[in-house]
Amino acid sequence: MEQDRNIRVLMAKPGLDGHERGARVLAYGLRDEGFEVIYTGLRQTPDQIAAAVIQEDVDVVGLSILSGAHLAMAGKVIEKLKGQRVKDVLVLVGGVIPEEDIPKLKEMGVAGVFTSGASIKEIAEFIRSHVS
Amino acid sequence: MTKELEDLINEMEEGSVRALARLITMIENREKGWLEVMKAIFPNTGRAHVIGITGPPGAGKSTLTDTLTCELIARDLSVGVIAVDPSSPFSGGALLGDRVRMKEISTMKGVFVRSMATRGAMGGLSLAVRDVIKVLDAFGKDIILIETVGVGQDEVDVVKTADAVMVVCVPGMGDNIQAIKAGIMEIADIFVVNKADREGSERAVLDIRLMLNMSTEKGSLNIPILKTVATKGEGIAELVTNLFEVLESQERETSWREERIREELMSLLDKAIAHHVHVKLGRNSKLDTAVKQVLARERDPYSIVQEMVASFVH
Amino acid sequence: MNEDIKKIAQATNEWKDKVVKPKLKKYKLEESPTRFYTPEDIEEFDFLEKVGYPGQYPFTAGNDPAPRWQVFAAAEAKESTRFEWGAATSSGAGKYAGFGTPEDFRDYLVRMHEMGRNAGPNFAFDLPTQCGYDSDDPRSEGEVGRVGVAVDSLRDFEIVYEAYTGDLDIDKVSSNFTANAQAIVIIALYAALAEKRGIPLEKLRGTPQNDILKEYVARGTYIYPPGPALRLFRDTLVFCTEHMPNFNITSIGGYHMREAGATREQDLAYSMAIGATYLQTGIDAGVDIDSYAPHFTVNAFGGSMEFYKEIAFQRAARRMWATMLKERFGAKNPRSMMLRQMGGAHMGYINATLQRPLNNLTRAVIGGMADGMSGGIPFGAMPPWDEPLGLGHSLEAQQLGHDATRIMIYEAKLGEVLDPWAGSYFMESLTNEIENAAKEEFDRIEEMGGFVAAIENGYVRQAIARSAYERQKRIENLEEFIVGVNCFAGPHELNVMTERSVDDVYSAELLATAGQRKCESLALLKKERNDKDVARTLKDLKSAAGNEEENLMPYIIECVKVYATLQEICDVMRDVFGEYKTGNI
Repeated sequence: MEQDRNIRVLMAKPGLDGHERGARVLAYGLRDEGFEVIYTGLRQTPDQIAAAVIQEDVDVVGLSILSGAHLAMAGKVIEKLKGQRVKDVLVLVGGVIPEEDIPKLKEMGVAGVFTSGASIKEIAEFIRSHVS
Repeated sequence: MTKELEDLINEMEEGSVRALARLITMIENREKGWLEVMKAIFPNTGRAHVIGITGPPGAGKSTLTDTLTCELIARDLSVGVIAVDPSSPFSGGALLGDRVRMKEISTMKGVFVRSMATRGAMGGLSLAVRDVIKVLDAFGKDIILIETVGVGQDEVDVVKTADAVMVVCVPGMGDNIQAIKAGIMEIADIFVVNKADREGSERAVLDIRLMLNMSTEKGSLNIPILKTVATKGEGIAELVTNLFEVLESQERETSWREERIREELMSLLDKAIAHHVHVKLGRNSKLDTAVKQVLARERDPYSIVQEMVASFVH
Repeated sequence: MNEDIKKIAQATNEWKDKVVKPKLKKYKLEESPTRFYTPEDIEEFDFLEKVGYPGQYPFTAGNDPAPRWQVFAAAEAKESTRFEWGAATSSGAGKYAGFGTPEDFRDYLVRMHEMGRNAGPNFAFDLPTQCGYDSDDPRSEGEVGRVGVAVDSLRDFEIVYEAYTGDLDIDKVSSNFTANAQAIVIIALYAALAEKRGIPLEKLRGTPQNDILKEYVARGTYIYPPGPALRLFRDTLVFCTEHMPNFNITSIGGYHMREAGATREQDLAYSMAIGATYLQTGIDAGVDIDSYAPHFTVNAFGGSMEFYKEIAFQRAARRMWATMLKERFGAKNPRSMMLRQMGGAHMGYINATLQRPLNNLTRAVIGGMADGMSGGIPFGAMPPWDEPLGLGHSLEAQQLGHDATRIMIYEAKLGEVLDPWAGSYFMESLTNEIENAAKEEFDRIEEMGGFVAAIENGYVRQAIARSAYERQKRIENLEEFIVGVNCFAGPHELNVMTERSVDDVYSAELLATAGQRKCESLALLKKERNDKDVARTLKDLKSAAGNEEENLMPYIIECVKVYATLQEICDVMRDVFGEYKTGNI
């Protein structure tokens, strides 16, 4: 009874930032691109995000951050995941990210950074090409 | 079975959440080896109690699941939650938003939450959910909650597999009761009027009572109707007491359990045969020929199918 | 149909047949990509009823027959001392700003004063402060001082306001506070500060955002469920009306919903529904509508590059508010019916692009033109062009924004005519259209039982998210164009930048250490204050919170005066009111 593998994506809002437009638009968009999208809602701690990544066994976790706390937040989530031996999940960051911080995020283990103007299709393509 | 798979099962049985989640993915996707997993874990299943939670959108099912889980954890029970949401019929994707309302429990010790999409395959969902329940059972969960909007037949089938079913509704929505009437009333063991601090909660209780009184189902007069305010935790302790009573009474009914196993075997058989047929037909050109014959009105489809079935059985 | 209109209709049809059709045929078009408006579009238009005069009901043509900025324009230019045209808000506070610790923000304000920007503070608070957490709470980690200044206690207000003494004391300047869920605590801090300085409360001027309802559907800094949150709103309304008559009560954040994805019509409908809910709390508390409605303000109705529609939007918003106040709430004072905005029409901060960002200056000018042609201007060309490059506008970008606003006033002379579009067949028809669509959505909310019901059933959140998604799809499907983003973005285009001294505004070094420094000063405060007083006032607050009839404002003032922290106060109320759990996706 083989069927096509459904790629699962966790869309998370870490920290106290309540700007949800990007995260929700992308959640809708990725659903329509054929992904199974799990949305966490606002004010997620790194522990909550890591727990959701593990329990939901997602292929991708998208962190949406517009508060300027992206380095701290992404760092903590990645640390928590590593601490629980989760290595094969694709970590993406979106939001207001100054250009100079992008290399720092990548160094931490973030696979892709998407800022203002990125399209749903572009992100969907990125996920498809990076999830085996 | 591969060594890798064996390790994964061992890890799961030793309490690894990550292994549990991986196995669920495997089973849900029907990945290679899933049957081996099911066979291997079956001896360790049969302990968990399964509770189905259903009701129309906006009734507060997720919040109720969240609060109910807190209460169960407080009673030293471990809990697995399966939250089912529909897949998009157009893209095959899904938006699974139940975790938004399950923040309290997402990192609670002893709780495992998994979102599942219906994935469209007729009859496939309830089988997959039953299998996921077995993994959670083997993992050692005491209680497994399945939460779903009881709209499609598929979702009703899912809830039906539970040991106890609670139907959740809210005051002030007349259509609500109508929606319940249509499909899931017959399977309810408990009715919950959630958001009972709102106007019209008494009315909702009366409406449900009236509906049950008119029912011809056996025992419908004894079905409890409870009031809760999930956001404030009100009425939850009483709900748990009632749920346990239902679970206990069902425990004694061997005939009910036999019936469920019979149903499950039949479903598995149906699926397996259908799969077998698909694989076979995929390999030969008989179907193509048959299509041409029917199109040209040389033969009728009924005789063709009869012939095919005969050939499969031999 | 009257005779004139009949004649025009006939002429229109002839024009369509003889002039338009052949042209369309040439391009093989079924429908014209353009429109031309005639008196037919505003048949039965009653000028006095629909437009009236500036400064008179229904205020379609504007609030002010002689806006101060126009009256004093020449004099200001001759003196050329005042730095910020663009940043002055209707209440007189300065540019929205805030970062780091109270000391950092104080030093920043002093520096701004030295540069000639000496308006009152317009507080941006960091997220922990907005959500009712102290800097030392684990949830605040990484967020302290980040999107605004961290405020934990009265001590912090005392420090920030060290920048405001003498000629700039708080009885002379106006303060704005972007505070919602915890607005009642922030107002209490300001009142307590005044008391300590011996300044009577009635002299305080300023505006708290104090618009909690939009937080549940956009922006997300809520604490309590909507019911208790509205009770806190009522308490601020009643207290301010009685004791702080020169202090505004709320600044309704329609624009925040727009930014979250709401359409123009949704923004208008929801803002009106939110306004109606707040106004009703005063009625229910037995306060005279005309004593508090004049202290209601709106953040800004704006948010797109659609020039004409943003102008019509302003006109429709003013008319709708005025009609609602007069007809539904029975207001008698024209000031109650006047929609007062902190800002005005503008391009929408979300429409600033990261790609070729200097283009945002052009965009801001277009938004500013819409503002100037719809009763605004002081808000002018906003935001500064470097808005999407990260938090903190550079001084250079601010300079260009201010200059653009000045150019609109002095060189383009936009302010010489009031409501220049009044009577335009097109603009009047568009204004009606927007108002009618908003009314329809407003009625839908009313049918659900009002805005709180529409929060609880998830309707508004979902409606906004759907609109946001629809727009994104239009952009991706090239049904809507953004220059430099989804078109004209080839390798042959040039990126153009100017120098930015953003470091001078918010120091990265200070930001990096703000959390640690704030936690240290908070620990010190907790050591120095009298814990018994804190415990006593918090206990009093708790028992008052349990009684719906009590006004919590005086209790909270007592708490802050003995240096109870923001979170200690919010936690007491969390205990009594519970916390809001978000709705749906």
